[in-house]
Amino acid sequence: MGTIEGEGKERILKELESIVGSEYVSSSREITFLYHWDFVTAEEPGRCDFVVMPSSTEEVQEIVRLANREKIPVIPWVSGMNFGGICIPRKGGIVVDLRRMNKVLEVNEDDMYAVVEGGITWGDLKGYLEKHHPNLRAGITWSPAGTGVIPSYICYGMLDLGFIGGTGAEFINGLEVVLPTGEIVRVGSCMCTNYWLGRAPLPDLVGLFIGWDGTTGVVTKAGIKLWPNLPRKDFIIIADTVDTGVKIFRKLAKAGLGIVDMCFLNYVWLCSLQGYREDENMPFEPEKTGGNDFYGLVTITAYTEKEMEAKSESIMKIVDEEGGLVADIETVIDMFSENEKENLLTLTNLPIHFYGVWNFSRGGGGEWVGSYISSRHVAQYYEIARSIAKKYGKHACMYGRVMFGGHHWIARVNINFNKNDPEDVEHARKCLMEIDENVRKLGSVIRYKAPPWAKKRNLEKANPTALELIRKIKSLLDPNGIMNPGHEM
Amino acid sequence: MSSKMYELFKKTLEKYLPGKGVTKRITPDQLELKRFEDLEHYKDVLYFCGKCGQCRYVFQEAYWSRVCPSGELKKFEAYYLGGKNLLLWGVLSGKLKWTENLAKILYHCTLCGNCTQQCQIPEIHHYALEWLFAARIESVKRGIAPMPEHRKFGEWTKKEHNPYMELHTDRQKWISSDIRRELPEKADIVYFVGCTSSYREIQVAKAMLDILTSLKLNFTILKDEWCCGSPLFWTGQIDIAKECAKHNIEEIEKSGATIVVTSCAGCYRMIKEIYRNKFGLEYSFEVLHAPEFLLSLVKDGTLPLENEISEKVTYHDPCHIGRHMGLYEPPRELLKNIPGIELIEMTRNRRNAWCCGAGAGVKSAFKDLALFAAHERLKEAQSTEAEILATSCPFCERNLRDAAKAYNVNIKVVDIIELIKYSM
Repeated sequence: MGTIEGEGKERILKELESIVGSEYVSSSREITFLYHWDFVTAEEPGRCDFVVMPSSTEEVQEIVRLANREKIPVIPWVSGMNFGGICIPRKGGIVVDLRRMNKVLEVNEDDMYAVVEGGITWGDLKGYLEKHHPNLRAGITWSPAGTGVIPSYICYGMLDLGFIGGTGAEFINGLEVVLPTGEIVRVGSCMCTNYWLGRAPLPDLVGLFIGWDGTTGVVTKAGIKLWPNLPRKDFIIIADTVDTGVKIFRKLAKAGLGIVDMCFLNYVWLCSLQGYREDENMPFEPEKTGGNDFYGLVTITAYTEKEMEAKSESIMKIVDEEGGLVADIETVIDMFSENEKENLLTLTNLPIHFYGVWNFSRGGGGEWVGSYISSRHVAQYYEIARSIAKKYGKHACMYGRVMFGGHHWIARVNINFNKNDPEDVEHARKCLMEIDENVRKLGSVIRYKAPPWAKKRNLEKANPTALELIRKIKSLLDPNGIMNPGHEM
Repeated sequence: MSSKMYELFKKTLEKYLPGKGVTKRITPDQLELKRFEDLEHYKDVLYFCGKCGQCRYVFQEAYWSRVCPSGELKKFEAYYLGGKNLLLWGVLSGKLKWTENLAKILYHCTLCGNCTQQCQIPEIHHYALEWLFAARIESVKRGIAPMPEHRKFGEWTKKEHNPYMELHTDRQKWISSDIRRELPEKADIVYFVGCTSSYREIQVAKAMLDILTSLKLNFTILKDEWCCGSPLFWTGQIDIAKECAKHNIEEIEKSGATIVVTSCAGCYRMIKEIYRNKFGLEYSFEVLHAPEFLLSLVKDGTLPLENEISEKVTYHDPCHIGRHMGLYEPPRELLKNIPGIELIEMTRNRRNAWCCGAGAGVKSAFKDLALFAAHERLKEAQSTEAEILATSCPFCERNLRDAAKAYNVNIKVVDIIELIKYSM
């Protein structure tokens, strides 16, 4: 498969126009250019032939049928931003930009779920819930408003309710998917009722579309879990090292305190988050400043004030016992001026702006080694990444989260670079690959939203029977291999 | 413990703390003359953008409402700020070519600045409007812009000093000959009428003239007022705009006025900011927008407002006085001084206000976009249950009224000046 030229291109363009209307299809260089790059990572750009913006499942179905007939790649897309380049078109084809399918179709307040279209963004979802169902909330990632909800959920994104609810995948009750062969399938309880309650008790076919990075179908609708929007309290927890911080977090996770989220970052990320450059502000090595290297954010919710107080007391006690520092964020923020306070609070009100996610002060580039990991290895992971980054003259920005009651963790190390400097991009890529190679030796690391080279490494030591099953499933669902080629498992 | 954390965070977060709401801030970099024509200067800043899409939404307010008329109509990423940033990075780094199609995308934008308001990357927040404009200048230099409609009114303005294809000799036809004769050569105040109020929305000019006349203020209207240059400037026709600026400054200075009052938001920004900061022209008078000026008269008792207007009113912030110049409160305060009026805000107001869709050459070259944007605003105004949609710019008023007619929307669109005239 390659890019399409000449008469065939014209014919396909016309067919696409007849499906969605000419204003929502383009093959022009100015429009397609923006889909060739992810504009963030060190991954190479790709190339697509068409961009099409359908408005309904039926239109998606027609597009996919056309693509399957013509054996043209289909790349499902919402924002293209995932820090792994998994939407970069590797073999040409049609980018199906789902941004027009961005509605909330149903909210069931009693069972606390919403049915949404596949192209909904965090901004759309949060805005809708704030306006129409302020007593409910969704799990949201630490990402900008314009990025997609469903891509994040089906790629195991980590949410600000990760401790209580798990990964984004666990927030999915059911899916409607256009299969690569053009059929529409519903999986989860919506398979046989109009209630999108969950994935039990029939075979859990939702798994056919989770963790596959858009290579098994185009998700057009999803049932997602909502949660009560209870009063919350956020605590900042500081420890001298990541190792100490991990121990504190592990103890908090086992204390049954109604925590909904636990995440942390290191000193470098805290600095770089705010756009600091080492040379102009402060050294990035915490030991040089006498600073600490673990900055945690723990969120609890409670129905009554008394309950909140009791939980708060327990958190304070545990952190103190383990040698950390703790304060509730409101007390700290109250010490700032009104204007500063307003701006600080934006950092805890997700989704967040890109500046709060990433540091662009040094050229705007960044890519992570994002990993699911055992809590046993988090501190070592950080030390390995830090020493390799240092060798490359880079700083390891560490971020992590405790998932699903503490049953597993996520750790990721970001490496920044100058996107306008090809040498620095290549340098960063080598650094990332070396970190990836070495942290895997810990034994529990599995990459998520991984670029192709890291995906390959994920499966190098995989159970052969499981691998064969993956291949059989892919082949059954996508006999012509049209779905997001180049990003397969 | 808390104070220790405060110190730590204060130190670490100081760059972040200024935060939202500072689009208007003029930085030394922006004050550098000719910087607004220098796209290359921004090459390394453009790639700070990661196309994250925050420029499509109000940031953490107003239910995350959408903010970009161009993007919301055309949908493709290229029409939002993020897309434009990266297309410009593409041409500056040789990955894309300058084409007519690219110029058309760049001109599909009212330069309203709502996107830059929402983006919190400081460099984009402060400078994106500069490079979006610099890209227009570059397009003009390369012969792929402005759009044919812009070129046409540019040529006409050179000759007849207005973009409406009207004769210069007809500019003051809206003033009765008696009053015209009585307008002095010299006065303390100049009412700068602008082309839209002179040729199209003459009710705004008439209301302003009635107010000034009945208050017996020492004012005049320039006999040889030219277009302020705003439509030419924003479409990249700098030379003609600068000629207009020089002429108008000369005429105002000749009048001896110390205050210039504008009723058009575009004229206000042009004279107050662009003449000085972009053209480097100096003048000795103060520039006030009509609501600022009228509010001062209300406050000092010169302009008593007595007639009741028992209506629900919502206010549309024109971009040129709002986001671009920071004038959010005077129009509202003025409205609140009118007896009987109940002022209801739209969801997107002040720094987050949705643009009416008329500016930066859009109304002339891309009528569908202008009407789409205005229709969206009308629907938002209607959702407040207001009977009147008031604004403070005749160009906004015109576009909003055109859309009301085109889409049969039943809401009265007026300029605040008209309400003041009725109430006095």
